Amino acid sequence: MRPAASVLLLTTLTGFGYGLLAWVGAYAALGLLSTKPWFALGAIALALLLASLGLIASTLHLGRRERAWRAFSQWRSSWLSREGVAAVLTYPVAIAFAAAVYRDGSGVAARALGIAAAAASLITVFCTSMIYASLKPIRQWHNAHTAPDYLIYALFSGAVLLALLHAAVFGTPGAAAAACVACAAVALIAKGLYWRHIDAQTTLATLASAIGLPKGTEAKPLDAPHFTENYVLREMGFTIARRHSAKLRRISLVTGFAAPLGFSLIAGLSWLPRTATAAALACAVVGLFAERWLFFAEATHVAALYYGRRI
Amino acid sequence: MTMLPKAVPGAKKLGLVVDLDTCVGCHACAVSCKEWNTGGEAGILPDYDRYGPEPDGVWLNRVHSYETGAGGTCRTVNLPRSCLHCEDALCVTVCPTGASYKRAEDGIVLIDPEKCIGCKLCSWACPYGAREFDEDGGVMRKCTLCIDRIHNEDLPEAEREPACVASCPSRARHFGDLADPQSKVSQLVKERGGVDLMAELGYRPTNKYLPPRKAAIPTGPREAPARDASGIGGALLRLLDRALSR
Repeated sequence: MRPAASVLLLTTLTGFGYGLLAWVGAYAALGLLSTKPWFALGAIALALLLASLGLIASTLHLGRRERAWRAFSQWRSSWLSREGVAAVLTYPVAIAFAAAVYRDGSGVAARALGIAAAAASLITVFCTSMIYASLKPIRQWHNAHTAPDYLIYALFSGAVLLALLHAAVFGTPGAAAAACVACAAVALIAKGLYWRHIDAQTTLATLASAIGLPKGTEAKPLDAPHFTENYVLREMGFTIARRHSAKLRRISLVTGFAAPLGFSLIAGLSWLPRTATAAALACAVVGLFAERWLFFAEATHVAALYYGRRI
Repeated sequence: MTMLPKAVPGAKKLGLVVDLDTCVGCHACAVSCKEWNTGGEAGILPDYDRYGPEPDGVWLNRVHSYETGAGGTCRTVNLPRSCLHCEDALCVTVCPTGASYKRAEDGIVLIDPEKCIGCKLCSWACPYGAREFDEDGGVMRKCTLCIDRIHNEDLPEAEREPACVASCPSRARHFGDLADPQSKVSQLVKERGGVDLMAELGYRPTNKYLPPRKAAIPTGPREAPARDASGIGGALLRLLDRALSR
């Protein structure tokens, strides 16, 4: 599948934004925000800003942007519609949460709304993941890994961002460093398991079944309907060389998860916490972008079979 | 409304039956589809870089040719590929706006060009690559089963069939109601063992494809062994060959 900038930005930026909001909500629920209302308010604002940028980026690939409001209507069947509804509903919840924190960071209202904001954030990320997980023609997405992985990466992104904010304001990353280490380790393992899963998958269909011939019939393309690339091939026939994907996998594992894990550990031990958390964030951004690019680039669509492409 | 319609008793399932045995791969169906639909109600089917090095455009029907089998059973199979108007149409349920819908009364899957936001998710949901994006209009396009022909009372009754069916010179395309077991198309599917494309994906397409018949004519080696050109005739032929090859 073509790794379009709009969807890469959508999924990574909303991961950082909603991940951060989920952590701030969790902090409030645990009563860790009592002495830090301005810090929490700043973090909530940043979270909403990042999520909004991601959502705006996602509208860039629309053919008719002025009609985007229509996308809120089909929540009964469409995960894309549900994502839109969940994203919009997260705003009032987050604003109410911010107001409660401003009044009393350790009050019952702040704790309850913290849980609500965290839930709304994670539900939105879950809806995004299900857009991909529900697409049956794409074996690399339509599996049990996609949804939990997206949630893990969002929580990891948010933890890395929160650790940096905490270190920048208070000098230490606090409990966020431990969250970073734990999330990075889980994310690293999850990504490894995902790749092992998609590498072992059998293809969903064959050219023979795609053209209605009995299973096992030999078939190969003779003449294509057109000589140049068309929409279907551009969008769904994207292929990436194996050696490139192997290299990018290493880059995203090391830069995206292993390096932030190491830097967060260093920050957690109070060695150069500001520098270390900043380095963790920088690595996570680059690594997650590579990881997300691969999520699209490695995904194959059965329609490409008609053109004799490997899926 | 992107929920799939509830089954209505007695509702039609209009669709196509394509005979892979008699399709000669002439692309007449694709061309007449393009011609009819570019002048249709939904507006033109755009072409890009028309006279440049990378011509491209939106087509709702594409004809592929494949080589199947090996040795004496080797043959060409031509496959016209368009929307199959699936019963479990994921392209409909993923649509966030309600632009993509399936009609309850005849099962035709359509796009409302006034509601489509061009998010392209429906094209990702279709295993058959049947939806193509209209870059000029910013909306998705697909086969309408020539809805503006088949229900068009301004046309003589004989012409109320999809353009691709009307134009097929080898009569490899058939249009009808696949919900009615007595219809011509249902009978054809029954007699010839019509199949679903990519049945394993479970979309339950309405359109069926009739598999190629087993070749009745034994096909041995087609090229006669080269005869030894000897004697005076052979010498003359060699001379002629040299003269012509100059």
